[in-house]
This record gives sequence, structure tokens and C-alpha cells, in this order.
Amino acid sequence: MRFTQFICKNVFRRKVRSTLTGIGVAVAISAVVALLGVSNGFEQSSRDMLTGHNVDLIVKHIGAGDFDTTRLDEAIGGQLAQLPEVGQLTPVLEDNVKLKDDSFPVPLRGLPPDSFALQDFQHPAQGRVLAPTDHDSVMLGTILARNLEKKPGDTVVIELKKFKVVGIYQSKSMLENRGALVHLAELQALMDREHQVSEFQIILKPGLAGDSAVVDRIKAEIADLRDADGKPYHLGALTTEQYLNNDNGIKLAGAMAWMTSAIALVIGAIGMLNTMIMSVMERTQEIGILRAIGWRKVRVMRMILGESFALSLGGAVVGTCLAVFLTRIVSHLPAAEGLVRPDVSLRVIITGFLLSLLLGLIGGAYPAIRGASLAPTEALRYE
Amino acid sequence: MSSTLFDSSQSLLRCERVGRTYTDGEVTALVDVSLEIRRGEYVAIMGPSGSGKSTLLNLLGTLDRPTSGEIYFEDKPLSALRDLDNFRSRKIGFVFQSFYLLPTLTAIENVQIPMFEGSLSAPQRVRRAGELLESVGMSHRTKHLPNQLSVGERQRVAIARALANEAPLLLADEPTGNLDSHSGSDVLDLFDQLHDERGMTLIVITHSLEVAERAERIIWIRDGRVAEEPVNTAPVAHHQRVHR
Repeated sequence: MRFTQFICKNVFRRKVRSTLTGIGVAVAISAVVALLGVSNGFEQSSRDMLTGHNVDLIVKHIGAGDFDTTRLDEAIGGQLAQLPEVGQLTPVLEDNVKLKDDSFPVPLRGLPPDSFALQDFQHPAQGRVLAPTDHDSVMLGTILARNLEKKPGDTVVIELKKFKVVGIYQSKSMLENRGALVHLAELQALMDREHQVSEFQIILKPGLAGDSAVVDRIKAEIADLRDADGKPYHLGALTTEQYLNNDNGIKLAGAMAWMTSAIALVIGAIGMLNTMIMSVMERTQEIGILRAIGWRKVRVMRMILGESFALSLGGAVVGTCLAVFLTRIVSHLPAAEGLVRPDVSLRVIITGFLLSLLLGLIGGAYPAIRGASLAPTEALRYE
Repeated sequence: MSSTLFDSSQSLLRCERVGRTYTDGEVTALVDVSLEIRRGEYVAIMGPSGSGKSTLLNLLGTLDRPTSGEIYFEDKPLSALRDLDNFRSRKIGFVFQSFYLLPTLTAIENVQIPMFEGSLSAPQRVRRAGELLESVGMSHRTKHLPNQLSVGERQRVAIARALANEAPLLLADEPTGNLDSHSGSDVLDLFDQLHDERGMTLIVITHSLEVAERAERIIWIRDGRVAEEPVNTAPVAHHQRVHR
């Protein structure tokens, strides 16, 4: 018999209690995996949207620190385009609009006709790309088109104005697929934001993006840009990773995922602690026997911690399967499609397993110390 | 199995003015106990309830430490030992009145429990546990759980467990206390076998004179003191057993 077999036998000794504890751990770990999976999926989709268009730098207003609500003068694009390192540049205006009363707002992006981000959709899944001569026209992402049941030639109403669907695009990014594209000038007019943009996206000239010294220099140049009166624009240029790390939506999603996960983990740890303390108390005499026949304290601790880890790992396996299954189901619900990715990354699954080990350690440490510190003579007398 | 493993002329255990006082209740359980147990000796410790027998067993078995005096094992003071668990694992086998087998483990698995502290591999542990069970006449019940065994069989498994690490000393606390007379007799026969064939040192705590008379020597404990000096001559009953 191996020591691990002995540990497993102890775990299955109280089947109902072990199962209930395992379920508690499984629920905690499934919450962690599912929530972190959704949060990371959101971040990954944002990354996909930028990397899908080969964006190297994103320029935003850095004044008050809240990037999402800032406005930039479209004319700044002219100065940015003159920087020698800039290969391609596109202004982007983004807003969220509701296209159906019972659905989540969808991201609507305004791009100029010559934008590289628009040219990336030259060959859309259906229909055609927005042409410079199009008016009151829109391209829908595949998920949005499916949810709205629209195809090229149909019309959608955006902010009380009718737009004709000219094409359905397929992006690598889930977030982009649940959004829509219109001409920049039309979105500016629609939102009453003439000559304003949310950000500028820059593709550097070939070979420069990988040179951190060059990137830092460009960022400094952009930060130093001023208007005709010498007044600074307060611009900030961020790499894709910096942009994602500073995005309030991503940060909020991550924070909420971790907060909720932490609560679930604490509850799981308390359940584990309770089970293991009960287990040690019930087996006081047995632990006395083990100590009497020569087991060292450290082996008693290993036994109890091993049981705790076995329970938490069992819970992690079940919880992860549950989370993957639920995430897949939820991601296909119309309300969540495009918000929740159907796949859970390996990184999130590993995080879940590591947290389950932490949970096992927290739940098993005190009972293990308590069990190991029992005096053999007292433990043997215990009834 | 007929060769004697130990030199019976040497002292195995020696108590010098050993005392044990429990400070919480100011109870003195043992006072100035001095005795010697030689290698290969079969000794019974007798005395009324509360006389200090179990306290003495705990001290001899290193489950507890004396508050005064010193106990020597192979002429080395136990107080100088840092790792008593390791010492206990290698040198002492325990047999208890209530057997204390782990209920979820089969007989052969129970016998392997002390071996986790040794250096045997898992297959070696299984093989050795099988041999031990065979030596106590339990080879036909290796896969049975304790609750599927008779009380006598459980005690045989417990004895096999006590032999797991080839300890030279076996301490038994009322080993026949929960057994019927037939099973008790079988267990005592097994003790005789261990003593005679393996040359093991046996210390048996008992209330029963019948059990004590199977030993070579009886130590009487009364009110925490040795009531009578050990007698070197073997009791008549032992001779009767040997020549039977």
C-alpha cells in the first residue's frame, strides 16, 4: 500500500461529508474559473481587436486619467501622421448604442473610409465593405447580425436613424463581432460629437514596434505634442499591453471577478477547515495509535494535509469541468453572446487548480498542526 | 525461526528511580521505580487498577517522559534521544487491549502502517506484511477488514503490526482483556512463540494472574511503586508451558 492510497482511503471513509466538502470546493473553484474565464476572455477579445488590426500604439487623452470618457480633436491626427515613425494612423470614435430594447448596448465604432481598420474587412463574411460613397450605411459584426437577424440589404435603427446594412464582417475579436462600424463623420454627427474622436490607433513603420527605445521615443514625442498656441494636448500613447492594463472596463471586470472569487474561496476554505477539524477530532484516538507505533509528527501532518489536498483537488477537477460546461452554455445564450467567450484559457484553469491547492492548505494546515501536536498518551485515552 | 536474535545476558531496559507526577492534578502515578529487563526476557507487570501499570508502560514505551529518574534502553538514557518517534518505530512494538486497527484498512494494510516510517518500498511492504500475517496464522484473512474478523483474529493482526519493523521489544497492554478464553490462550501461545523462537523481549501488562504466569517474571506494582523485587527464577507455569 502506498501512502497516497492510505490518504485516499481516509478521504472516502466519510463519503457523504467528503462529497459535500468536495462540492463546496467545486462550487468555489467553478466560480473562480468561470468568473476569471469571463474576465480574461473579455481582456483577450480586446487584445484580439487591437492585434487583429496590427495596432502598435493607441493615443488617448491622458488628462483626468479616465481614458474612456475623453474627447480628442480629430485634427490632432494630422500632427501624429507627420511623425516619421508612424506608418499608418486611424482616428476612432466609439460609443455604445442599444439596437434592441432587451439587449445589452453594443459597441459602435466610427472609422474614416480609408482607415486600415476598415480596410481589414475588404472581404467580409457577407456583403461588402463600407465604401467612401456610402451614406447612412453600417457593417455589422457576425454575432450582432445573428442576434438582430439582419443580413446585407436590411436596415437597422441606430439612435432613431435608419442605416442600411451593407456587409457582415468576421473579426478575430469576439467583442468586435458583437459591434458595428459606420463612417466616422456619420457617427460624429449622430452623437453630436463633430470633429471629435475617442482615440487614434497607430501602426508603426515596419521593424520599429519591436524596438523599445524607439517606442519610448515616439511615446515621448506624442506626449509632447502641442496645439498652435503651444498648449499641450495631454496625450498619452500606450502599447497594446499598456492599453489593456489601463482599460477601466477590463480592470473593473477583473476586480469584480477576483472579489467574487475571493468570497467563494473563503466559503470553500471554511467548509474545508470544518471538515478537516471534524475529521481530526473524530480520529483523535487513531492519531494516537499512529503516533504510538512510531509515526513522526510530520507524517501525521502529511496525512491530514494530503487528505485536505485530495479533497480540494477533487473539487477543482469537478469545479473546472462545471465552469467550462457552464461557460460554454452561457456563451451561447443570446444575451451573453459576444460578451462571454466559450473557451476557458489554460492559464485560468491552472489558476483555479493553484487556488484549490491554497484552499487545501488553508483548510488543512490548522487541523494538521492540531493533529500532529496531540500527545500519544492523551490521544489513546480519548473516547 | 528457531535461532535467538538477542544476547539475553544484556540489559535491554533499565529504570532508575523513575517517577511520574502529573502537575495539573498533583497526582503522583509512579515513585522511585527501579527495575531492569534483560534482552529476550518475558515479563508481566501486574497490579490493581490505578496502581501505575499503564503509566509505567507509557514510560517504557516512550509515549511519555518521566518527571524524575532515568530510563535506559541498551544502556543509553532515553532522555538524551531527540527523535523518540523514530526510536519507537524501530525498537518497540505495541499491542493494545482494544487492538486499535484502522477500520477502513484490510488486515494486510493495517500491518503495513508502521512500515511507512521505514525504508521499504510499497511492494516490499506488501510482501513483508504477508509474511507477518502468515507467521501469526492469518494468511487466509489478509484482505478482510477488521469488522470481518473475530476479536482473536484482530489481536493477531495487531500483533503482526507490532512486528512490522522488527522491533526487539514488544509491549502489550492487557492483550487478552477483550478476548474469550480460547482466543486469549491463542494470543498467549503466540507470545510464547515470539519469545521462544524469535527471542523477543516481551512486557505484558495484565490483571490476570493466568496471563502473568505465562511470563518468566512478574513485577508487581502497587501505589506507584514496585511492590516486590523481580524474581529471576521462572514461574512454575512457564516451565509447565515449555515442557508441555
